[in-house]
Amino acid sequence: MAALVERISTYLHERGLRVVDIPIWIGGMLFLLAWASPFLWMVTTSFKYPEDVLTTHIEWIPRRVTIDNFIQVFELPVLRWALNSAVQAIIATFFCVVFGAMAGFALARMRFPGRGAIFMVFLASLMVPTEVSVVPMLLAFVKVGWASTYQALILPMIANVLSLYIFRQFFLSFPQELLDAARMDGANIMRAFWLIAFPLARAPAVAAAVIIFTLNWNNFLWPLLVTFDESMKTLPVGIAQFAPNVGTHTQIEGYAVAMAAITMLSIPSLVVFFLLQKHFISGISQGGIKQ
Amino acid sequence: MQDEHAAIDQRGHRMKQAEPIEWTGYLFVAFFAVPFLLFNVGPILFGLFVSLTEWNIIGSPDWVGAANYLQALSDPWIHQAFTNVLIYGLLIVPGVVVLGLGAALFVNAGYPLTGIARTLFFAPHVVSATVIGLVWVWLLDTRYGLINVYLGRVGVDPIPWLTSAEWVIFGVSIASVWWDMGLAFVLFLAALQDVPKDLLEAAEMDGANRIKRFWFVTLPLIRPALSMVVTLQLIATLRIFSQVYVMTNGGPAGASASPIHYIYNVAIERYLFGYASAIGVLLFILILVVTLLHRTVLRETV
Repeated sequence: MAALVERISTYLHERGLRVVDIPIWIGGMLFLLAWASPFLWMVTTSFKYPEDVLTTHIEWIPRRVTIDNFIQVFELPVLRWALNSAVQAIIATFFCVVFGAMAGFALARMRFPGRGAIFMVFLASLMVPTEVSVVPMLLAFVKVGWASTYQALILPMIANVLSLYIFRQFFLSFPQELLDAARMDGANIMRAFWLIAFPLARAPAVAAAVIIFTLNWNNFLWPLLVTFDESMKTLPVGIAQFAPNVGTHTQIEGYAVAMAAITMLSIPSLVVFFLLQKHFISGISQGGIKQ
Repeated sequence: MQDEHAAIDQRGHRMKQAEPIEWTGYLFVAFFAVPFLLFNVGPILFGLFVSLTEWNIIGSPDWVGAANYLQALSDPWIHQAFTNVLIYGLLIVPGVVVLGLGAALFVNAGYPLTGIARTLFFAPHVVSATVIGLVWVWLLDTRYGLINVYLGRVGVDPIPWLTSAEWVIFGVSIASVWWDMGLAFVLFLAALQDVPKDLLEAAEMDGANRIKRFWFVTLPLIRPALSMVVTLQLIATLRIFSQVYVMTNGGPAGASASPIHYIYNVAIERYLFGYASAIGVLLFILILVVTLLHRTVLRETV
């Protein structure tokens, strides 16, 4: 016992902590546990038999499990929605990164009149919430005959100011010698960009790609508005139908199947986040700072 | 004297020669600017026009001037939606700021296992509104939801979180705080890591306890981050839609409807595109006022 106290106090001392930090740490970890528990409850519920779900007897770890709920999810065209989501998010992310890198490079390293003003216009647009322009945009897409198409899902998402901003910040501190060296070798600025600058911009490219992909994968309002056909819905919009109060499912099986559906829906975002956390958080912080 | 003139001329001349205009720059920007103009700027201008017309999805627009705006000012549903969104703001913004700052202080203190704490505090922010909405519809279920079951064990009667007009904004706000806190947390954490350690140590030497150190050293230094989080969250809350749509669809009887939810209803259920655009413009003005107020306050305090 004495030895344990000794070890704890040495440990605390080494880290510059006090005894009062122990209850704070325990309290914080309990709060963290509570914070993460909705995810655990979601996964737990998704493996339960429907009759084990609607009960006040709480089982954090189910006595018996089933994958029926996951099978039932596929009664709706989930695979088609997943395909739509993937096509939309991948293509939009690709253009966001390429266009953002080109414009970000030009605004950071090329000299032409109006450069500062152009950047200010891009930044100012961030003050306009997309929701304001979404109704007129829907009207325009309907009038052109592009409702419920991939064009409608993708085109409004291919120019993202956040991506441009991340690249511009990176290229502002890009070593001039590298560009000069390329130009000495006779490369024009376009070749210098594609052969030297862009390949070295991996960090901002990953940060921008991760953020933009997640934004698109999770995007809700625009796909909800512009897809009238069941087959052109994206995954978040389609799966929202599993809500017991909106959808056609009864409440009894509703929750178990709904949890199975959103367990599958959240896996790509969570995996991307866990794997690329650093890039994700650096990009997100810059996105906040841009305001 | 003459030498000086010559030097200036030479410098001016050299500048023109060494820094020619790189016309390719416009080309590089154009790839971004064309979709930006078409899909970001265009719809805003088009929306201003549409808001002055009566336009349903078939047929052509009829010019009605300010009629949509006048109608909006006396529409009881709009009053309710804007009142609701202010209550959302009063609940969600303090919730996100307090929990986000608390979590950031905890992670920044260097306790064991804070790496995993950082990941988990941020995790809800990366999933979609559908996930947030459905998880919380289940957690807040009146009879079998986890929250009410646990509250029942300490003697609290079941709370109709999402089914009564009195409670529904609380229910949706709890889910929203869980979703939004991660961003505030990350921004606070970045600000805390920039607080100079020696300042805190000096304050400790002078006998300041940790509450005093937080209040007099840390808090003043992270004020820009605090102000930014408040504004970002306020704007995000004014735009609240997806979780409302998934969790309650604005119900019961419009008690949880937000301005954007009402815009959605007007456009999609009633096909009143002119009217929906006008509400959008009104919401934009509200958000612009909040942003400009924030800039003014920020300039005065920093």
